[in-house]
Amino acid sequence: MTNKLNKYEKIEFLGEGQFATVYKARDVDTDNIVAVKKIKLGSRQEAQDGINRTALREIKLLQELHHLNIIGLLDVFGHMSNVSLVFDFMDTDLEVIIKDNTIILTTANIKSYILQTLQGLEYLHLNWILHRDLKPNNLLVNANGVLKVGDFGLAKLYGSPNRINTHQVVTRWYRPPELLFGAKQYGTCIDMWAVGCILAELLLRVPLFPGVSDLDQLTKIFGVFGNPTEENWPGVRGLSDYVDFKPFTPIPLKSIFTAAGDDLLDLIEGLLVLSPIGRRNCTESLKMAFFSNKPAPTAGPKLPLPQSLRKAREAQKPTLKRKLLDKMEGDILAKRLVF
Amino acid sequence: MMSSRVIPDNPLSLSWQDSVWIPILNTSNVMDYFSQASNPFYDRTCNNEIVKMQRLNPDQLQNMTGLEYVLLHVQEPILYVIRKQHRHTPQQLTPLADYYIIAGVVHQAPDLASVLNSRLLSAVHHLQSSFEESSSFAKYHPTKGYSWDFKSQRANLEKAKKEEKPREEPSSLFQRQRVDMLLCELLRKFPLPTPPQPKSLPAAPIKSEPENGPADTKDAKNEIKQEKIKPPPEKKPRIH
Repeated sequence: MTNKLNKYEKIEFLGEGQFATVYKARDVDTDNIVAVKKIKLGSRQEAQDGINRTALREIKLLQELHHLNIIGLLDVFGHMSNVSLVFDFMDTDLEVIIKDNTIILTTANIKSYILQTLQGLEYLHLNWILHRDLKPNNLLVNANGVLKVGDFGLAKLYGSPNRINTHQVVTRWYRPPELLFGAKQYGTCIDMWAVGCILAELLLRVPLFPGVSDLDQLTKIFGVFGNPTEENWPGVRGLSDYVDFKPFTPIPLKSIFTAAGDDLLDLIEGLLVLSPIGRRNCTESLKMAFFSNKPAPTAGPKLPLPQSLRKAREAQKPTLKRKLLDKMEGDILAKRLVF
Repeated sequence: MMSSRVIPDNPLSLSWQDSVWIPILNTSNVMDYFSQASNPFYDRTCNNEIVKMQRLNPDQLQNMTGLEYVLLHVQEPILYVIRKQHRHTPQQLTPLADYYIIAGVVHQAPDLASVLNSRLLSAVHHLQSSFEESSSFAKYHPTKGYSWDFKSQRANLEKAKKEEKPREEPSSLFQRQRVDMLLCELLRKFPLPTPPQPKSLPAAPIKSEPENGPADTKDAKNEIKQEKIKPPPEKKPRIH
C-alpha cells in the first residue's frame, strides 16, 4: 500500500466534487501525468456497501472497459480508510470549451467531438452499459484533442427485462422526456437524447433546454417538438408521472440551428425524438451521411483549446527570439571550440 | 418572394427580394436582409451564420476559414454590393461571387464570359431575324425571276410596328463607354497571347503591308508572274 502511495507525486489540486477531491499528479515510475480522485468516505449510509456507491460503480465498470474514447482507470489504491482512483489526466472538458467565447466551433470541430462521443458511447452500449449522466461537463478533452467519456458514477448495466431503475438520473437539461414522465424501464435511448442535447449545445453555445424544474424542462422540450401524442409516442399516457400540457406548435429545427447543414439537421432529428423507441442508436447515428460528408472532422491536435490552456502553453513554449538566441550561442560556442 | 430554396442551373437568371424589408433597408441592416433563409443566394452553412448562431463576436469572422459574405460597396440608399468569398487566412481571400442589391432586389453579378455570351447571342439573333425578314420580301415570278416586293407587305409591316411597344434602348451611351473601358482595362491586365514569330522572316515587310495595300499586291502579282516566266529557261537546259 505504501508502495503505491508513493508512486504518485501530487502536482496540484484540481477540484472538489460531492464525492471526491481530484488532484493532478505524476506517476513517479513512468513520468506520466495522471488525475488522482480521492473518494470521500461519505456518511455511514452512503458507505454501507463498504465503499461509496459511486466509486464502486466506477471501479467495477471501468476496470473492464478499454476504449480510446472512454476514460481509462489506470490504478486503484487505498490508504487508511480512503480509496483513490487513478485516471488518465484530461486537460479540459466540453463545458469549458462551449463556454469559452474566444473559441469558434466550426462544423468540422463539432463533427470531431460528436464522433468521438458516439464512438465511446457505442462501445459502452455494446457492452451493456448505460452512462446515465452524459453532459458537456463529463466529456473530457485532452490537449491532443482526444475526447473521453468520463464520470461513471451513475453508470449501470442494462438489459435485464423487468429490472426497475430509478428515473432520477441524468442532469435535468440533458434528461429525456420519458425520464421526466417517470419511466423506470429504459435503455440506451436515454443516453442518445443527451447526445442530441450536447450536439445542440455545441451548435448554439447555450443549453437547448435549460429547464429550471422538471415540469419547466418538459415545457421547454414540447415548446420545440410539440406535444407528445399516442401517435408519435405510443404508450406515453401510461407513464407514471404523465401529465397533459397546454398545446404547443412545433418549431422547425432549421430555424433554431440556422447555420446547420441538412446532414447535421438529420442527425439531430434522429437523436432528439420524443418517443424513446424512435431515437437512433449510436451505430445507426455513426452511419449517417453527416459523418461521411465534407468537411472532415478536425484532427485531434488541431481542435481548439480553451483560453486558459492556450496561455499556459504559450508560456511554456520557448519564444522564437529565445530559440534564435540559443542557436546563436550554440554557434558561438562551436566556433570557439574550433579556433 | 422566392419560396423554393432550389437554385436553378443558372443563378444569373435569378433575383430575390422581400418587399417587407425594402423600405427600411440601410447599411446597418442590409447584411441581415441578405442573410434571410429564403434568399437563394445565401448559403446558410457560411461562417457568418455560424458566428450568428453561436452568438459570437462578429469580428471572429477574421479568424475563421471558409465561406463568408462581406458588404463590399455601399451607395445609399439604392445600391449595395455584397461579396461571397473564401477565407484562407486572416489576410488571404478568394472572391467567389458578387451580389448587388439594387432598390432591394438581389441579383448575382454576371462574369465576363456570361456577358459576352449573352451579347453575342443577341447579336446573332438580330442578324438572323433580319435575314428572315428580308427573305419574306423576296418574290418569284416565272418570267421575271426573283425580285423584291415591299409594297404588298408594307401595310402589314406598319400595322405590326404600331402594335409593337416602343423598345427600350438596349444600353445607354454611358453604359457602353463604361463596358468598353472595362474591357480595355481587362485587355491591358491580361494581354492576348502573341503568337511566336519565326525569326527568319524580317518584321518590316509585314508591317508595311497594310499601309500601302494595293501597291504591295501589285508587286506580289508581278513577282508571281516573273516566277512563272522564269522556269522555262531552267527547263530548256534539262531537255538538251
